[in-house]
Amino acid sequence: MRCSIPGCRSVRAARPVLRFLRDEPFAAVGAAIYAVIVAMAVFAPELAPYDPRAILRDGHRIARYLPISAAHWLGTTAGGHDVLSQLIYGARTALEVGLTAAVAVVAIGTLLGLLAGYLGGWVDKLVTRLADVVLGLPFLPFMLVLAALTAPGVRVVIVSVALLLWPNTARVIRSQVLSLRERAWVEAARVTGCSTGRIMFVHVLPQVLPLAALYGSVAIGWAILAEAAASFLGFGDPDSISWGVMLQNAYANQALGRGAWNWFTPPGLAIVLMVLAGFLISRGSEKLLFPRLAEP
Amino acid sequence: MKRFLLSVALTALPSLAASAQEAGDAIRPLTLITQPEAAAPQEHQAAQIIADAWRKLGLTVNVRPLPGQEFNQVIWYERQRWDTTTWQMVGRPERSDPDELTYNLFVSANAANGYDFVGYNNPEYDKLAQEQREELDLAKRKVLLIQAQELINHDQPYGFEVHPENVVAYNKTVWDPASMVSQAGIGIRNTWTWINVRPLGAQQDVILNSVAPPTNLNPFNISGQQGSWAAEIVWDRLMRVGPEGLPEPWGAEKVERPDTLTVNVTLRHGMMWSDGQPVTIDDAVFSLTAPDIGDKAPMYKPFVRNIASVEATGPDTLTIKLKHPDAAFLVSSLSKLNLAPKHVWQPIFDDLKNKPQTAESIQEEHPVSSGPFRIVRASLNQEIVLEANPTHWSPPKIHRWIMRIMPNVEASLGALKSGEINFLADYTGDPQLLQDLAKSSPNIAVSQALDLGFKFIAYNERRPPFQDVAFRQALSALIDRTLLAEDAWGGAAVPANSWISPALAVWHDQGIVSRVPGGNLEAAQAILAKAGYALVDGKLHYPAGVKETTAPYH
Amino acid sequence: MARLIADRIGHLLLVLWVVTTLTFLLFRLMPGDPTLNFLSPSFTGETRAALLHGFGLDKPIWEQYLIYLGQLLHGNFGQSFLQNAPVSQILWDALPNTVILTLVSLCLAYAFGIVAGAFLAFRRGGLAEAVAIPVALATRAAPEFWLGMLLLALFAFQLGWFPTDGAVSPGGSLGSLGQRLLSGDFWWHLCLPALTLTLFLQGLPLLLMRATMLEVLNDEFIVMARMKGLSRWSIVIRHAARNALLPVVTAFALGLGASVGGNVVIETVFAWPGIGRVLVQAVQGADYPVAQGAFIVIAFVLVVMNTMADLAYALLDPRVSVGARR
Repeated sequence: MRCSIPGCRSVRAARPVLRFLRDEPFAAVGAAIYAVIVAMAVFAPELAPYDPRAILRDGHRIARYLPISAAHWLGTTAGGHDVLSQLIYGARTALEVGLTAAVAVVAIGTLLGLLAGYLGGWVDKLVTRLADVVLGLPFLPFMLVLAALTAPGVRVVIVSVALLLWPNTARVIRSQVLSLRERAWVEAARVTGCSTGRIMFVHVLPQVLPLAALYGSVAIGWAILAEAAASFLGFGDPDSISWGVMLQNAYANQALGRGAWNWFTPPGLAIVLMVLAGFLISRGSEKLLFPRLAEP
Repeated sequence: MKRFLLSVALTALPSLAASAQEAGDAIRPLTLITQPEAAAPQEHQAAQIIADAWRKLGLTVNVRPLPGQEFNQVIWYERQRWDTTTWQMVGRPERSDPDELTYNLFVSANAANGYDFVGYNNPEYDKLAQEQREELDLAKRKVLLIQAQELINHDQPYGFEVHPENVVAYNKTVWDPASMVSQAGIGIRNTWTWINVRPLGAQQDVILNSVAPPTNLNPFNISGQQGSWAAEIVWDRLMRVGPEGLPEPWGAEKVERPDTLTVNVTLRHGMMWSDGQPVTIDDAVFSLTAPDIGDKAPMYKPFVRNIASVEATGPDTLTIKLKHPDAAFLVSSLSKLNLAPKHVWQPIFDDLKNKPQTAESIQEEHPVSSGPFRIVRASLNQEIVLEANPTHWSPPKIHRWIMRIMPNVEASLGALKSGEINFLADYTGDPQLLQDLAKSSPNIAVSQALDLGFKFIAYNERRPPFQDVAFRQALSALIDRTLLAEDAWGGAAVPANSWISPALAVWHDQGIVSRVPGGNLEAAQAILAKAGYALVDGKLHYPAGVKETTAPYH
Repeated sequence: MARLIADRIGHLLLVLWVVTTLTFLLFRLMPGDPTLNFLSPSFTGETRAALLHGFGLDKPIWEQYLIYLGQLLHGNFGQSFLQNAPVSQILWDALPNTVILTLVSLCLAYAFGIVAGAFLAFRRGGLAEAVAIPVALATRAAPEFWLGMLLLALFAFQLGWFPTDGAVSPGGSLGSLGQRLLSGDFWWHLCLPALTLTLFLQGLPLLLMRATMLEVLNDEFIVMARMKGLSRWSIVIRHAARNALLPVVTAFALGLGASVGGNVVIETVFAWPGIGRVLVQAVQGADYPVAQGAFIVIAFVLVVMNTMADLAYALLDPRVSVGARR
């Protein structure tokens, strides 16, 4: 029987985005940072002055450790690569890792939170127990071991983030679902014969998506930091161009001792800005940052 | 018509352009394996530069960094799998005689499991290697070694890159620079310096750094480069390689070779073990024969393989009988085998007889030794503390020798500057930084010395086209060794084209580097053209009729 | 209440068991070959096989699992492949260093964060808030090792105020836990890693304290409007002590658990001989028993602290009870 509730259309998932941004200046800044990074990634071939992997020459010699100049806005690395080009292309890896991991975390967390919150009973117990086990696994050590087990690289970072960081999202979503479940319109939907599945996915899910999305923006940051840490410890993909690998190479080549701040600082700052953007966007809801405060 | 024929004739001269029908298959994408940039920046950058150059020939070259464990696993244990890789041979005092590398690297018997991991097989070379091993006359042996180097230059089983220079530094307000001893091919970081170095002030301890921790301290185990520095001064040997690279009696008072198969050794008087027992002739006999017991000391076994028998002929003398004449025996064996106490190790070897473990894995709690230093404390991941042995006949002038494990290169530089260490012994970083430090800090002295070792590109001859001499020659012709020395190694290296370093002036083939082209595209192309390789649409193809049957590395 | 504690402890044991089993499986599937560390030209196939047998790696997997569990229950983590020492000794040597580093940093971070957060809550709106919040978030957003390297370069290399690495000066040794705590040298070496970690951690308590204080203050305004004559301070402080600090205490417990594992990066940058560094080196060297032991210990601390946080939350906040679900 087709369910029909007055006003129960698919509720618009998000408040008007622009209104949100206007009310929350921090979030606006965060969104602007993201926009810049996305532009960098999408238009990398046009923006980057050189091929990031090309070994540049200075006459016959390799163009190593060149300082900031008109030809190289951020100078070159010890291996003769242009820092700015690497930085721009690094945005691609950052977005790839960040978005994929965030989507995975949010998808898993939202799904499990939804199921646990709405269905209750043994499903709830199972999900909660599972969350507790997962929360008992230390993140960085697990990622290192997994990297040694499979192969170092971006995939391991994404999988680790997805496997270990969903519980907090799930808890928060579950809380919200618990309270939504008591609402009148849900009750009404049930009475008029809407199936459980339909209620969950068509009516309740869109209500929690804004929260999930905000949480996703934080998860992007954790994923980037995880990739940087993995690269630094030598478990990243040495072949990829990423901000984490840039930092590791600068460190290994003693860029700091050389005073090559132009090499070492930009990737670090880029990471800070991108992770910060995620935090700023979620400033709208403090509870996202401190999920254990939500109803356990 | 005439013009057309002329242009065809011109293109048929040694240049590579050809039509698709005349050429064989396209050469598959080749993979150059190397270390990650963070693990070995110089090797990695060199690989990138070389790959860039090879691409100009129309090859598709992928540079593939592999992490340490996997790197060793693939190159050493999966010899069918890889195309080409960066690799190195490290300089050790025992390699002051070229025999070890001359024999192990290129003699075909070592191809399956040994050091001839590229699979080089040339009977003419095998013969030369055997002859030089048995030739005791210096001049004749030199001729043989020169011939060997020229042969290798022609065959190019390796694309030699550079001989690195050891860059070390120390605090010259703490240590008297005049007391440093420079050893050929090693530099000042050697046993003679540790024994001889004189403190100028209150600081009586040498405190040096090491990038990697040793696995253990055991006279029957070669625990890596840094572990060897400690082991060399804790355990004595019958001989030691002197500062000029020649063997000198050490634990022995006298060593004589009455004929090509006999070595007579007179043991030095008055040597004592650190547990108070005297060093006897039985200990010496044991030390020379124990590595041959079963497979209990696999690292040292090759160095006793040529010993037919060892017998004590008196309270202080023993006689070694060799199976074959061995020109390098004094350096490669008598200067390498450690003197170990029989009363400690015989029971251990007996106990291990029926167990799978080797003697290498045993770590004594209080190691018994007779060298100029004794082990006080070894926390292998952090620090090794040795103290001077006052009963030694050549006692050190310092009080303690302390090796701190510091994997972080920046931190070790900072430690030198702040005085936390007073000897920077293990520096794998940018030599420019060290030079700058010396300029700005009047306390710091830098010492740079050509090493015995070398860095190279290994061509796996089990996989075409690397089995073709012409192909290897062409690839080697594109290696710009001067550029690598200046840029990849920051000036702390010299171009190489031989496994025998110029530091071994007696054996090195002078001018050998000039007998291989370097960074020379025209020469490389000419070599390939002459051998029949062809360039089709910008890609390099095999000579006519040759098919590509090898799967790319993956 | 007893039922709550019993329930939580039962839960703890279950999680520990699952985690140790997962660890076992994870490490048995590692492709690294420890015998490669003894790479030698004369290494025959038989010698390798002998080594594997000596380490028990040739038994069937279920048998290895039972041996593993049995040993764990006795506190026996096996023997290190690389160091010829029992794993438990290596771990117990390293663990206190990590715990001290973490505790010191957390206490400093929370002390600073609580005070700064409360201050910001009073100063709602205005320049301080507009600057402080992004800065606090930025310190949390920066990669720890990057912060560490910058501080190291500035304070250790350039200014020379602090040592560059390790926990003791050359020639010294660490000694027992008591000796370490009393050693000035140890504390001097602790300064930079602790400073970095504090900088990294303070953002959370700062923002948390501010957030909860704002809630408390809002309540108080309404209450105060009705009460006359009572000082604002005493009401706010009394209430703040009870309500605002609860989430902070919880976060502290969680932070302790999480930091022990997360310290991996700081310990690597500063060569601090803690359990995180032990883990990284063991994984890099395929030293299975040590890597496994370190992982279990870190997970253990994490799970225990999670449980304590749960208990603290439940005990301190009367609104929550275990049975209140559906």
